[in-house]
Amino acid sequence: VRRFEIGDRVTVREATTLFHHRTQAYTRGRTGVVVEHRPEWLIPEDEAWQREDGRVEPFYVVRFRQRDLWPGYTGLELDTLETEVAEGWLVPATEVAQ
Amino acid sequence: MPSPSDLDALQRQVRRLAPEPAARLDSPYWISNELYAALRHVLHDVGGQPDAPVAYEDKEEADWELRTYVLCEVLAWRGVWNAEMRRRAENDLGETLYLGLPYYARWITVAAKMLVDKGLISVSELADRIDDVRARMEAGS
Repeated sequence: VRRFEIGDRVTVREATTLFHHRTQAYTRGRTGVVVEHRPEWLIPEDEAWQREDGRVEPFYVVRFRQRDLWPGYTGLELDTLETEVAEGWLVPATEVAQ
Repeated sequence: MPSPSDLDALQRQVRRLAPEPAARLDSPYWISNELYAALRHVLHDVGGQPDAPVAYEDKEEADWELRTYVLCEVLAWRGVWNAEMRRRAENDLGETLYLGLPYYARWITVAAKMLVDKGLISVSELADRIDDVRARMEAGS
């Protein structure tokens, strides 16, 4: 069962990372919107070590506003960036949408 | 067998390849949490790092590159590894090798390393084979 629907606002957790992961540093702690459901797959933290008990999670395409990602972003306000995130890295956004 | 001057030239080139650090580290006695976070940063996660534009080169794959791609896929198909293990192994090469090798040379390097890690080939078996091929090429066949 998926935790997030298209249109949900989600925040990427600021968790400790070790050795190998695919959660870009520039997304951690940032808030975006779910724009696409991606299939369930082994999470990279387990797949990278070929764990037989590897955890499978739903993935999401999350769209961020560029100006939310980069301090002093000088491009257009409507510029966005989309990236794929495993469910375990996401929590419901708490702050008020702007 | 390299001559002493060959060895000297090799070691000088290796030293020149070491990344030029803004802050030189030499096994310090202690480090801050901030430095540890930076040291833990995964090599391929470059988004947001200051850099200069590089020229885009529209290049077709050479035969060895396509063969490397197929070899790595077949190793995955046989269950020996997967693409995420390859990416981890590429990061684990360290910055000098990661940035120093051509893209598919990085792939074939970590594929060989993984086969050695898993005990499927030995490192001397592989080295002997490379020497055989070199000897054959130098003989011009």
